[in-house]
Amino acid sequence: MRDWTKQRTERTARLKGAMPLATGKIVKAEQVTELLGHLIKSGDRVCLEGDNQKQADFLARCLTQVDPAAIHDLHIVQSGLVLTEHLDLFRLGIARKLDFSYSGPQSGAIARALDQGKIELGAIHTYIELFARYSVDLTPNVALIAAVSADREGNLYTGPNTEDTPTIVEATAFKSGIVIAQVNEIVDKVPRVDIPGDQIDFVVEAPEPFYVEPLFTRDPGAVTESQILMAMMALKGIYAEYQPKRLNHGIGFATAAIELLLPTFGEKLGLRGKVATHWALNPHPTLIPAIESGWVEQIHCFGSEVGMDQYMSARPDIYFIGKDGTLRSNRLLCQNAGLYASDMFIGSTLQIDLAGNSSTVTPDRIAGFGGAPNMGSDAHGRRHVSDAWLKAGREAAGHSGLLVRGRKLVVQMVETFGEGMKPAFVEELDSIALAKKLGMELAPVMIFGDDVTHIITEEGIANLLLCRNADEVEQAIRGVAGYTPVGMARDRVRVEELRARGVIRRPEDLDIEPLEASRNLLAARSIRDLVTWSGGLYVPPSKFRNW
Amino acid sequence: MIPEEIIHQPSWYESSARARIVGLLDTDTFAEILGPADRVMSPHLDLFDLPPAFDDGMIIGRGKLAGRAVAVAAQEGQFMGGTFAEVSGAKLVGLLRAVTAAVGTASAVTSVLLLLDTGGVRLQEANAGEMAVSEIIRAVLDTRRAGVPVIALIGGRAGAFGGGGIVTACCSHVVISEQGRISVTGPEVIETNQGAEEFDSRDRALVWRITGGRSRVLLGGADSYVKGDIAGFREMAIRVHNTVPAFSPETMMMEQDRLKKRLEFYGDCTDTPEIWSRAGLSDPDKIYEIDDDAFLALLSQKGSRS
Repeated sequence: MRDWTKQRTERTARLKGAMPLATGKIVKAEQVTELLGHLIKSGDRVCLEGDNQKQADFLARCLTQVDPAAIHDLHIVQSGLVLTEHLDLFRLGIARKLDFSYSGPQSGAIARALDQGKIELGAIHTYIELFARYSVDLTPNVALIAAVSADREGNLYTGPNTEDTPTIVEATAFKSGIVIAQVNEIVDKVPRVDIPGDQIDFVVEAPEPFYVEPLFTRDPGAVTESQILMAMMALKGIYAEYQPKRLNHGIGFATAAIELLLPTFGEKLGLRGKVATHWALNPHPTLIPAIESGWVEQIHCFGSEVGMDQYMSARPDIYFIGKDGTLRSNRLLCQNAGLYASDMFIGSTLQIDLAGNSSTVTPDRIAGFGGAPNMGSDAHGRRHVSDAWLKAGREAAGHSGLLVRGRKLVVQMVETFGEGMKPAFVEELDSIALAKKLGMELAPVMIFGDDVTHIITEEGIANLLLCRNADEVEQAIRGVAGYTPVGMARDRVRVEELRARGVIRRPEDLDIEPLEASRNLLAARSIRDLVTWSGGLYVPPSKFRNW
Repeated sequence: MIPEEIIHQPSWYESSARARIVGLLDTDTFAEILGPADRVMSPHLDLFDLPPAFDDGMIIGRGKLAGRAVAVAAQEGQFMGGTFAEVSGAKLVGLLRAVTAAVGTASAVTSVLLLLDTGGVRLQEANAGEMAVSEIIRAVLDTRRAGVPVIALIGGRAGAFGGGGIVTACCSHVVISEQGRISVTGPEVIETNQGAEEFDSRDRALVWRITGGRSRVLLGGADSYVKGDIAGFREMAIRVHNTVPAFSPETMMMEQDRLKKRLEFYGDCTDTPEIWSRAGLSDPDKIYEIDDDAFLALLSQKGSRS
């Protein structure tokens, strides 16, 4: 007779070992490392909550202090691997295998650890891909998570930075796993219940509040005129023509420029109410002027942003706000919205090849993907229509008809030369060489060329939907690649033919005078201006101030 | 609608040194001395593989302000941090000496406007830069002694640091905006030498609380506070033209006395809100959050000197 309850029995046994360390569900900070010793066994799949922004940093520190002789070969399954403690687990021999999405500041350290054989890499996922696997074959045995506050029953308030927590807890708690939460404070009553207490096994008040990094704040003061020119082309050549109402913006300065041009240049084009009304978007401070000018109907957020909480609380018609009055974000749901319910993704990248594949990989760094590949891909499963989606589909098909499928607009904005005058256009992506070096079977590509519909540079817009073969795609890309070697190697005659067909459009073809691309067009030229627009509700972190 | 406070006139902070001069002076009156066409460039930067600038980041010349002849010098903070070096320093010293020499002649000017925007001495030519700063200080004082006021206008991205802070303090009158900063040792240098516990240069609110325009004008390190647009600087430069104190021993004694008292009253404070609170300002923590109009109202209540 097969035992059908082995996981439950195992869970009960581990909890029993840990019970003396807890008062109810509450554990003292100094006893957490010992607690983990009872709850985690070698070979476990562990999620050590590392989101795009919120980090269970205290629990991470405790996990690095367990005895590697007793606990080893852990399989880390988490979206963000961004703290040095995350890498320490592998260096100390506590963890061996890794499945993740995004690494940001640890991208160099991960590449080195891989090279030295310290990490056995499963795969680099997109966010929803990893979350999907939580429910299928990467279900955590133990989840170490972070919340703002908890009551004594373990009910959690995760607040504006809810992010990945509900997804992690759901997968762990309902599959006989164990969930431990670090909280900033234990209270009598939480402002709202984001995670019900019966899904939480232990709660610890961390000595310091969990760490949150402001990731989406772009200082309007650093927006360049060339980014403004690209933003003007985007508004006139794409927003005005396809009229995408539902969209996601990347976090670069070029899209920040678009956000800051909506109330000025966009208003002049008469686009208010016709485009960019519904968003899957992090709380970008640079969108405040457009919101205040009545452009935006609603925004669903992946996470929060430092300094934006008061502003969002005061705009519940725009943001998703709990009955307690603070934002509720949810990365899984928002990524899903970006994949299926958006007509356009527009964002920056570092490198584009001749087929339009793009990558943010630089030599010796594995930054991972985050969510851009889902936002920046056509959702083949999509069935509902919109004007923007249909127009893009018709352009791709070359005709209209009963069974012409729509297309998501996937727009890449890139200056022909990036940081350090490195050409953004290349014959071969750096990620190919990196994959070869590290023996990866699939080179990390952020957005595949067959999903890209437009590329915008300061030289013009290439509309890849109108290209009929790989050769045309290559010349269309060379035709906007400026003075990079890729751009210099263009076939001038073919490029002029593409321009005559409207595949390539220069600023003058769009009736845009490059000299008019001035910072005076920005609705806000400084962080201080954003504070003014918000009526003092936006409280920027100190590192962005110049007053 | 764009809030009225977000002025879309050219801002001083955002503009280049040349745009500041053009906006400051009467239309079409600026005559540059040793302009870019003369190609007087740094002989040192090439050694460091650094590109020089045709004007070495120092623009000097003569023009008119509300019809009166003035001399003007502006540093381009975006070129090598607006630094004092062999050429840039010599240009400013030369301008000041020419002003002093011209007193009583047909080419006399009524004041000198210094549009400083500088991190201090250019490290790549530090000896020449240090000497330039000393010569500039001497030349500023000689100019003032000859009866020509020297007015500093501070509101650029680089602030007025290092020798720039000292030169500013030697001027007859200092006009500053919220973004403007005046100090000697820069925040990053303090942090490098004394640690982030002493001064966290990334805590920009702290940097501005200590060195920024509002604190400087409240403490008397600057004399007039303006909103950040170029027109505001122009208006104030015209207004202060005749109100600067005489360059006399009495003025120096009064200033010495003021500084002594300031040290007595506030010497043990570790941050500026402590000073404001001790000085009896209401809402000391709000000083940096209120808008320019509210701050100007507070200044006029209090009188600009403390």
